Amino acid sequence: MKQSKFNKIRMRETLVSYAFLAPALFFFCTFVLVPMIMGVVTSFFRYNMKGMTFIGFDNYVNMFKDQVWQKSLVNTVILVLGSVPITVMFALFVAALTYEKNPITRSFFRCVFFLPVVTGTVAVTVVWKWIYDPLNGILNWLLKSMNIIQKNIMWTGDKKFALWAILIILITTSVGQPIILYIASLGNVPKDYVEAAAVDGANDLQIFWKIKWPSLLPTTLYIVVITTINSFQCFSLIQLLTSGGPNYRTTTIMYYLYENAFKRFEYGYANAMGVVLALMIGLISFIQFKALGSDVEY
Amino acid sequence: MKKKTSILDMISMALLLVLSFIFIFPFYWILTGAFKSQKVTVKLPPEWFPLNPTLENFRKLMQNPALQWLWNSVFICAVTMLIVCVVSSMAGYVLAKKRFYGQATLFSIFVFAMALPKQVILVPLMKLVSFMGIHDTSWAIILPLCGWPFGVFLMKQFSENIPTELLEAAKIDGSGEILTFSNIVMPIVKPGFGALAIFTFINTWNDYFMQLVMLNSRSKLTISLGVATLQQEFSTNYGVIMAGAAMAAVPIVAVFLMFQNYFTQGITMGAVKG
Amino acid sequence: MRKILSLGLAAALLTTTLAGCGGGSGTAETTAAPAATTAAAETKAAAPAETKAPEASGGAVEITWWAFPTFAQDSADTPAGTYEAEIIAAFEAKNPDVKVKLETIDFTSGPEKITAAIEAGTVCDVLFDAPGRIISYAQNGKLVNLNDMFTDEYVKDVGNDALLNSCKSDDGSYYMYPISTAAFCMAVSKQALEDAGAMDCINMEGDRVWTTEKFEEMLGKLSAAGYNGATVYCSGQGGDQGIRAFVTNIYDSQVTNDEVTEYTLNDEGGIKALTKIKEWVDAGYMLNGSAYNGGEDVDQFVAGNTAFTTLWSPGLASQRADTLAENGIEAIALPFPSEDGVPEMEYLVNGFCIFDNGDAARAEVSKKFIDFICNDEEWGPKNVVRTSVFPVRQSMGDLYPGEAEMQFYASLTKYYSPYYNTIKGFAEMRTYWFPMLQAVLNGDSTPEDAVNDFVTKANQSIVNAQ
Repeated sequence: MKQSKFNKIRMRETLVSYAFLAPALFFFCTFVLVPMIMGVVTSFFRYNMKGMTFIGFDNYVNMFKDQVWQKSLVNTVILVLGSVPITVMFALFVAALTYEKNPITRSFFRCVFFLPVVTGTVAVTVVWKWIYDPLNGILNWLLKSMNIIQKNIMWTGDKKFALWAILIILITTSVGQPIILYIASLGNVPKDYVEAAAVDGANDLQIFWKIKWPSLLPTTLYIVVITTINSFQCFSLIQLLTSGGPNYRTTTIMYYLYENAFKRFEYGYANAMGVVLALMIGLISFIQFKALGSDVEY
Repeated sequence: MKKKTSILDMISMALLLVLSFIFIFPFYWILTGAFKSQKVTVKLPPEWFPLNPTLENFRKLMQNPALQWLWNSVFICAVTMLIVCVVSSMAGYVLAKKRFYGQATLFSIFVFAMALPKQVILVPLMKLVSFMGIHDTSWAIILPLCGWPFGVFLMKQFSENIPTELLEAAKIDGSGEILTFSNIVMPIVKPGFGALAIFTFINTWNDYFMQLVMLNSRSKLTISLGVATLQQEFSTNYGVIMAGAAMAAVPIVAVFLMFQNYFTQGITMGAVKG
Repeated sequence: MRKILSLGLAAALLTTTLAGCGGGSGTAETTAAPAATTAAAETKAAAPAETKAPEASGGAVEITWWAFPTFAQDSADTPAGTYEAEIIAAFEAKNPDVKVKLETIDFTSGPEKITAAIEAGTVCDVLFDAPGRIISYAQNGKLVNLNDMFTDEYVKDVGNDALLNSCKSDDGSYYMYPISTAAFCMAVSKQALEDAGAMDCINMEGDRVWTTEKFEEMLGKLSAAGYNGATVYCSGQGGDQGIRAFVTNIYDSQVTNDEVTEYTLNDEGGIKALTKIKEWVDAGYMLNGSAYNGGEDVDQFVAGNTAFTTLWSPGLASQRADTLAENGIEAIALPFPSEDGVPEMEYLVNGFCIFDNGDAARAEVSKKFIDFICNDEEWGPKNVVRTSVFPVRQSMGDLYPGEAEMQFYASLTKYYSPYYNTIKGFAEMRTYWFPMLQAVLNGDSTPEDAVNDFVTKANQSIVNAQ
C-alpha cells in the first residue's frame, strides 16, 4: 500500500544512483566478481597447460593432504601470529610516545616509520637481501665484530632464522600505517576524561587501560584486520629472498599458490588454494570483528 | 597535567631512537650503496659512506630501459589514480547520500570484497585479462585495480560530510543530478580526492605481485619489477641493484614527504571515525 | 524481493556498460571517461590480432624472439641483447620483408614469464633455451614440430644420438633445433689452491679426471689455510644441474636410470654422497648454500670469497673472465671428482623452439630465422662461438684452435651421461630438488629419508605429467 507511493520517487532515485554507480560496478564486476567466480569454478578442475578435466573436490582433498601445503599453512600462521601482536604493540608504543610531542617531532617519527612503506617492498627487500647476505652482508659483520656470533649465519637459509628474518622485514613494512592511525586516534581521546581521571588520582597505567584503550579499540580492530590480511598475503619478500626455502621453512600459502600456478602449471590446484585462503581470511576477519568488536560501537 | 621525565621515559625515548635508526638504515643503505663500486659493496668492514662515489652503477642501470620503467610506473599509477578518483567519488556519493533499492546489499558486497585478498583471484584475473587481449600492457594493471572497492568505501566516508540541506536546496533550484554532483558534491569531497589519490598511487606503485603476473616484456616493466629483474640478473652486484632501488624509491619518498598530510588523512579517514 | 530487484538492476546496468553505451542520457557524461579508457584498451587489444591479416597476404611478417642470456656480449658491460640485435640486423638485411622483435629474459624469472605468456597467449614465436623446458612445452602441445628442419644431412652431421634424442618429445618428433653443446663442470681457484698447498690434489693431465678422495684432501687443505669451500647452493632452481652433477658423481650415483624412466638417486651412492656433503658442511669444508642459488655461488667464486664452485662451463668462464681478472683469480676447470675417477657429465644443449601461435606464416619465417642463426655460413659459426661452447654440427670443426682450456672442455664430451632433462615432469622435479638439499643441510631429515622422499615425489611427477 505505502509501497506504491514512495516507489515512484525511490525508483527514480534508484535509477539515478545506479547510473552513478555504473562505472564502479562495471570495474568491480568485471575485474573482481568475474575472476572470483572463475576461480571458484576452476578449482574443481584438473586444470593445466593441457586443458581442463572436472575432478570435483579432488584439489581440495589433495591440498589438505599435501605436506608442503600444511607446512606453508603453519608458516603463514606463524607470520600472522608473530606480526600482528608485535605490530600492534610496536605501533602503540611509538604512537603513545610521540602523539603529544610537538608537530615537527611527531611528523618526523611518523615519516621515519612510514619510510619502509613508501620505499616500496621490492626496494626494501633487495636492500635487506644485501644486509642479510652471509658472506658480504653487514649484519654478520656487525654481529661478529661485536662478538655476538662467531660464525657467519645464513639468515635466509638457516631453518632457525629464515622465517624470523622474513618476519622482521614484514614488520618494518607494516607498522607505518598503524602508527599513523594510533597517533590520530590517541589525539581524539577526549582530554577532559583523561584529566578528570588524573585528578581522581589514577596513575598513567590506569589512565591508559581505563580511558585510552577503550577508545582505541575500533582503531585496534582495524589494524589487527589489515595486518592479518597483509601478513596472510606475504609474497614478494619470499619470492625475492628465499624462494620458500630452506626446505619450505618460509613457504607461505601465497607463495605456494604462485609456485603451483607458475612453476608447476597446476592452475586448478592454485585456484583451490586461493579459494581456501580467501575463506580463511574471511573467517578470521569475521572472528576478529566478533571478538574485538563486541564492545566496540563501530 | 605535568609530565615528569622519569627513567622509564628516557629508556623509551632511547629505544625509540634505536628503532628509528633501524627503520632509516635500509633507505640510507640504498642511497649510499647506489654510489659504491662493486668491490666496495662486498668489502667488510663496510664503507659507511661511499668514499669514492661512482656513477658506474647508474650507467649500468641506464643500459636497461630504466627510465621507461619509471615512466611505466608513473603512467600506471597516475591513470589508476584518476579513474579510481572519478569512479569512486560518484559511487561513494550515491552510497552515502541517496536512498535506493539494493543500497545496503551493494555496500556490504563492497565491504566484503575489500577483505578479500586480491592475489587469490590473480590466476583467473590473468586469464581474463589475456582473453581481453591486454595482458602485458599497462592496462592489465590499471583496469583490475580500478575494480578494487577501497576507493568507494573511502569516498563514501567523505561524502557523509555533505550537508543534505545543500543537496535538497539544489534540487529545489532545479539543478540536474550531474550539475549537483559537479557543483556541490565535488568541491566538498575534494580533500578526499587528495587522500584517495595518494593512497591509490602508492598502493599501485607497490603492487608487485600484480605486476609480476601481468607484465612480461622488458620495455613494459614497472620500476619495481625492473629492480626485481635486476636483482636476478646481477645477483650479488649490489651497487647496480641499489641504484635501481634508489630510482624506484626516491620519487615516491619525495612525493610522500611533500604530501605527508594527505597521506595521513587518507589513512586515517579510512579507519578512524572523525 | 528488494535484493533480487537490485541485483537485476546491477546486472542490467552492467550489460549496458559492457555493451559500450553509457547508460541513460543523464549519465552519458559521467561514464564517458571510463568508457573511453576501456575503448582505448580494446583498440590496443585488437591491434595484435589485426596484424595477422597483412602477414598472410605477403606483407611484412613480424616475429618475436625471446632470448635467455646465452650469447656472450662483447664485454661484461655490454647490455643484454646487443649481440642478438646484430644477428637480427643481419637477418633482416637478407630478408627485408621480415621484422624480428627481440626480448631478453633472465634465468630466474624468465621461465615463469614464459608460462604466464603461454597462458595469456602473448608468448614469443622463437625461444632460445635448452631441452629441459622446451620439451616440456612440446609435451603440452605448445610447440611447432620441427621435423622438416632435421634433414638427413643435418642428422648425419650431428651424428650424436643422445644429443638428437634430447631434442625430441615423446611423440618421436623434433621440437628443438640445437646449435651448440658442452658439459657442465666445476672450477677451482689456482691462487687459493697454491696458497693452501693443494695443487697436488688436482690432476692437470689429460682429461683432468680425479677422485673423491683427492677432492676431500683438497677440502681439508683449503679449510686449514682459511679458505671457504664452495657453497652447496640450493636456494632455488637456478643452476641446479651443477650441484646435482656434483652429488651424483662423488659416489657414482645417477639421477635416473639409463633408460631415463625412473629416478634412482636414492641408491647407495646417492645416500652416501649426501651424507658426505652434510659432513663437509658441518666440518666447514663447504658452506651451507641454502641462501644462494647457482649464479650467486659463481659470484662468490669469482669474487674470491670461495675457493671453488660446482657450477662452471665454458660459457660462464667467458662471461666472468673480466671479474676474475679484476680479482686476480685464475679459474681452473675440472671434471667432477668421482669415486672411480670416471666422471659422468651433465651437459647443456643450446637450441631453439617455435611456439605454435596459430599462424603458419610466422612459423615459417621463424624456421627461416632459426636456420639463419644456426646454419648461415658467416653467422652460424660466429653464433656458436658466442655461446662459448661447441657446435653440434661436426662439420664446423674446431672453432677454438689453440685454446688449451677449450680443448679440455671439448674432451669432456666423452663422459656425457644419460640426458634426463627431457623426462616428463622435469620442471616439477626441479621444485623438489632444492628443498631436498635444504632438508639435508639443515638437518631436517637424514640424507636417506630426504633422498627417498625426493625420489618418491620425482617419480610421482613423471606420472603426473602423463
